[in-house]
Amino acid sequence: MPDTQGNHFRYYVGPRAAGAGDGSATAAFDSVGTVIEHIAHTHARSQPGATKLRGHDRVDICRLADRAGNSRGAARPRYRFYVDPLGSGLARATGTAKLPWPDLETAVAGLEQLDRRGAIPLDPGECLSLHVREVFSATPVDRAKRRRETIARYVLLCVTLTMVVPLVLILTHLVAKAWPVLSPSFIFENPHNNMSAGGVWAPLVGTFYLVFISLLAAAPIGVLAGVYLNEYAGDNWFTRIVNLAVLNLAGVPSIVHALFGVGAFVMFAGMGYSVLAAACTLAIMTLPVIISSTREALASVPMTFREACWNMGASRWQTIRTIVLPNSISGILTGVILQVSRAAGETAPILFTGAAYFMNVPNRGLRYFLPYSLNDSFMALSYHLHVMLTQVKGASSEQIARGEAIPLEHLQYGTAVVLIGLVLVVNSFSIGLRMFLRTRKKW
Amino acid sequence: MSSGKLESSVTSSRPGGPARANLGEPHGALPQQASPSPPMATTSNIPLVPAPPAAPLPASPRPRRRLQWMHRLPELLIESLIRLCGWSAILFVFGIFFFVFREGAPFLFGGLDLKEFFTTSNWNPVSDTPHYGILGLLAGTLSVTVLSMVIAVPLGLGAAVYVSEFSTPKLREFLKIAIEMLAAIPSIVWGFIAYMILNPIIIEVTGAPVGVNILNAGIILALMSVPVIVSVGEDALKAVPDGYREAALALGASRWEIVYRVLFPAAKNGLLAAVLLGVGRAIGETMAVLMATGHANQIPHSVLDRVQTLTATIAAELGETVQGDDHYRVLFVIGILLFAIAFIVNLTADLVVKGIRGKQNA
Repeated sequence: MPDTQGNHFRYYVGPRAAGAGDGSATAAFDSVGTVIEHIAHTHARSQPGATKLRGHDRVDICRLADRAGNSRGAARPRYRFYVDPLGSGLARATGTAKLPWPDLETAVAGLEQLDRRGAIPLDPGECLSLHVREVFSATPVDRAKRRRETIARYVLLCVTLTMVVPLVLILTHLVAKAWPVLSPSFIFENPHNNMSAGGVWAPLVGTFYLVFISLLAAAPIGVLAGVYLNEYAGDNWFTRIVNLAVLNLAGVPSIVHALFGVGAFVMFAGMGYSVLAAACTLAIMTLPVIISSTREALASVPMTFREACWNMGASRWQTIRTIVLPNSISGILTGVILQVSRAAGETAPILFTGAAYFMNVPNRGLRYFLPYSLNDSFMALSYHLHVMLTQVKGASSEQIARGEAIPLEHLQYGTAVVLIGLVLVVNSFSIGLRMFLRTRKKW
Repeated sequence: MSSGKLESSVTSSRPGGPARANLGEPHGALPQQASPSPPMATTSNIPLVPAPPAAPLPASPRPRRRLQWMHRLPELLIESLIRLCGWSAILFVFGIFFFVFREGAPFLFGGLDLKEFFTTSNWNPVSDTPHYGILGLLAGTLSVTVLSMVIAVPLGLGAAVYVSEFSTPKLREFLKIAIEMLAAIPSIVWGFIAYMILNPIIIEVTGAPVGVNILNAGIILALMSVPVIVSVGEDALKAVPDGYREAALALGASRWEIVYRVLFPAAKNGLLAAVLLGVGRAIGETMAVLMATGHANQIPHSVLDRVQTLTATIAAELGETVQGDDHYRVLFVIGILLFAIAFIVNLTADLVVKGIRGKQNA
């Protein structure tokens, strides 16, 4: 048996080879090569029941000094080699301290090669040591910890991807299904033949109307409310109530907004079933988005800007007008654009306040561009999709064959793609603006 | 200006003089002083030189005051406008409650049997003897919400943790954009997806006779509320001070241990608020559930049953009612109920978040 002190194994190579030695001082091996072979058998990880080497372990190969075998080798080994699982791990590892072998198998192969080349001659009393480094090497606890972390990382990545993958799949599926009808004429034509043919122009214009009017109402109020909350409101109970109101406004279900629109605008304010009533309902619904994004944009302007301005003798409003708003206008715009995309997609609030099932809009003339007056009901893209999905009967196959109609499914997918495209384009614009701003930010 | 030049040359001729050191101190406390610009330096040094005799002011204060007034007036106007807009949020919330209540109240206090309303599932407002029992609708809303949260909470919180703690900055940017896109998809399009895409898939996989059911609505609602949970949850995790992470790292914790042992307890309330806001979104969703649930009033027994929710009932039936009759008013009563639920959920979320703020400050 080799000399073993804890995790320190020492094998002897003697001039007095005793045939099948076991590496002890009294029965030494006959050559360094044999020792290396022995190490490969007893310590390598792949061997069952082997004494595996771990961090801080060390194997020495010593040539006995004299025939009596009473020398225990030199105190300082002549050669040092290193094994480090966390070392370079490169194929060109040479076993030096800088380029340690990654594992014992490589180490054994490397030592064998060196021995065969005669690069590691051992004089009597000299020693070769192979260190397994502990520094930064993983203990079993560490290894388990790292394994758990890797598992967690990949599980969480998968979880995240389960949200991204459906998005991509859905979008590609929608576009693929709608491909046959997607053309400029689909966008610029009005629906006709009981909505079994034509495009989405009238609903698209209605959506533009709706969004534009709601923006006119919501943007000034929202931005000013954001200014109030960030610049004027003190830290008191009243501000907390205002904040709570904004939060609640954002959380009210869209159908309740619709009921409010019916009660307040359609009936109480006498707007009737119209673009105006629907736009006002939407404006109140999207107000909290604008308020909170305005607040965020204003809060990102450093306080020192304001202080500098106040020091020049400017009043609060002058500071806001000349310093705070110009420095945050793009952030505010981002929020307003986001509101546009949200307003364009909403269906529930316009359901009972102004959206029409169908309106006959001519394909030319001024009324092609301005089909609705403020007091008219209107077609909107989102409601149009709802109608196409639930109430429109598809054209007969003869009509389709004669080219008078388009298969219903194509129309449905086409409408959905136009709506989603509109929303996503507006949204990407907002995201792009935000990213552009971040690169330009000077503070 | 000439005096400014003069005294700045004076200071530069004797830098670090005792007078300069003393006078410079209070200004040094200001953050702007890190890189003083020339005009700032001159103003800070003004006390060094004897002030030149002040030029006599114009002896007529009256026009000056009028000028001030003319400047002040628009400012006062605009400031009061800003305040008004700020307070309008309260006005609108009260307005919503008031107008919905105004339409629903006549029936709520006259004619509606509250016991029948909440404890039976017989919703039959158009028969000769109308019945208004919303138990089935409540069960529908509840089942769909619970299923969607069972799917969305692990997904949303997992994604929030990944985005906030594990991903590289580039990947994080990409994921956040993807999540934003997911949030931007209109609810009617989700309904379309449920009806046209998920419906046949569910029929195929489960063998159910109809694919628009609780399972369908749960999946769709989960995808809809996940972005809310992710963004609020990520904010909650980001709000945990970096010192916590660094301390845990210094103790040898792995990233997962930091998340599990440090961030979760520290951001508990914020994450709870994220879940609550997700719940709020799921309860309030209308168009997608209208199309995805199958819209059949019954107490569900399995996830493959069709149900009808509170929101979808309003959306489907308000158009058919005669304004002012009982059916019309009972839908507004449901609206009041939904408003109250949303209010409670949001208030709880707010209090939960405020709770941690208070504790952290203490």
